[in-house]
Amino acid sequence: MYATYVIWTRHMRKFVQQTEELVGLALQSVLWVVLFGVGMRGMISDVGGSDYMSFILPGIIALSALGGAVGGGMVLLDERLRGIVKEYLAAPIPRLSILLGSAASTATKALLQATLMLIVGLLMGARLAINPFGWIGALILLAIFAIGFSGLALGVAAVSRSIAGYHGMIFLFNLPLLFASNALYPLEVLPGWMRAIVLINPATYLIDAVRALAFGVDATLPLWASGLVLAIFAAASMAFALALFRRSLRG
Amino acid sequence: MTELAVETIGLVKRYGMLTALDQVHLQAPAGQIYALLGPNGAGKTTLLSILTTLLPPTSGSARILGYDVVRDASEVRRRIGVTFQEMVLDPLLTGRETLDFHGRLYRLPASVRRQRIAELVELVQLTDAIDRPVKSYSGGMKRRLELARGLMTDPQVLVLDEPTQGLDPQNRVNIWSYVRDLNRRRGMSILLTTHAMDEAEALADLVGIIDHGRLIVTGRPSDLIASLGSDVIRVRGSGDFQHLATVAGTVDGVSRVETDPAGGLALIYTDNGSRRLPAVLNTISNNGFAIEDVTLARPSLGDVFLHYTGTALRD
Repeated sequence: MYATYVIWTRHMRKFVQQTEELVGLALQSVLWVVLFGVGMRGMISDVGGSDYMSFILPGIIALSALGGAVGGGMVLLDERLRGIVKEYLAAPIPRLSILLGSAASTATKALLQATLMLIVGLLMGARLAINPFGWIGALILLAIFAIGFSGLALGVAAVSRSIAGYHGMIFLFNLPLLFASNALYPLEVLPGWMRAIVLINPATYLIDAVRALAFGVDATLPLWASGLVLAIFAAASMAFALALFRRSLRG
Repeated sequence: MTELAVETIGLVKRYGMLTALDQVHLQAPAGQIYALLGPNGAGKTTLLSILTTLLPPTSGSARILGYDVVRDASEVRRRIGVTFQEMVLDPLLTGRETLDFHGRLYRLPASVRRQRIAELVELVQLTDAIDRPVKSYSGGMKRRLELARGLMTDPQVLVLDEPTQGLDPQNRVNIWSYVRDLNRRRGMSILLTTHAMDEAEALADLVGIIDHGRLIVTGRPSDLIASLGSDVIRVRGSGDFQHLATVAGTVDGVSRVETDPAGGLALIYTDNGSRRLPAVLNTISNNGFAIEDVTLARPSLGDVFLHYTGTALRD
């Protein structure tokens, strides 16, 4: 869809122009990896045969993609509240392309951030798998994951009446995503009931697959299953966003 | 039969219990400037939102150039240019980027975009500022940029929601002259809303007066005004307006008296204002009415509004 591409270029244009956002995003990535990685490494030397930095990096990357999705939703909310979105609505383009444009720019930012985090992680002693296809696969899955969470954030942004309301709603599912996942601890150490919850969380699948693809850790879940779950998640959440967006336009 | 740029049939829009538009039948012929005149909250913006496909109607139908705004929404969108009541500009983009992005949304080729931007920047006099970020623009410059954006796609119908709201007099007059130019030189059909009667008088070929969601009367401004009589004596003051209406109506040459007690205003229509003025004033002040201010004028669209709605045009 051409309009998706046009809207993506507009977001990217604004992104590279806003030095604060660029620097903020870069610093955030570095700080996450350095502070979190170093702090935790002092406590835990290795998890299931891999060093803790390699273990924790995929989780940090996934969580920063969540942050990016929340930011992407904020952009839509801001454009909605200020009326800028009317320019799109009066144009001969599909409603979905407006949302996809937002999700695509969120995914792009997530990829840039992930690349930066990987580099910092390597400098800090993480060990990447020696398979470039694995890296690319991991980044593709990350992009799909980012689109999925953009969908949820955009859906909330489509119906929120204020910025505070939006953040309240987002916070509600942001926190469980971090702790009810395998980001900080391996699946095997969790009790059965918690494992069941963790397995509902799409972040778990991304993190497991990225560990396997990019860091050469043995996958706990089959790769194809992780890919499938992420793809279904992305499609479902974009459908959710579109439904709420359409509803908000009915007036 | 002349082609219609805009046509609505029995258009209704309800928000829950609130009826924003009530059976609106509107016909705006192609190639003309049609002004919807009404106070804020009259339903003007709701009507424009339906016409520009942003909102679906509750019932009734609306067409732009014969295309239904619900069924043929994308055909409608391709043919209209819009400026909204609030400024909807991205402060981070430059003027040129704003126009270029808009052209790309409509899939205009790069060469066409370049040429249109050059023309439009000239038209709305933004040559010096076009490569600056929009956040550095004044209110008038932003409005002009929005007008240029609405024109990027060379629309057949231009829809302007309160195009001069919040602008200083000089910028208002500028916008008026662009709008007139577009209509006269390019034959563009223009539908605009305003709550300022001077704007409607200055621009419109046809005026539709709208209040409380109903389109009350439509006509050429001069015809609407002429239908009220030749001269109007406007009296501001305090006292018993009902009594004033009765006694002033008995004066020779007075055809009709309209009062708006809340606004402290009475309109006395006569066949010849300057001749009837002494008798009228004499009569009403003898009956205990305290006159603060009197003006004698040809009736205006504001008087038309009062005549048809029973209240003065409020902001």
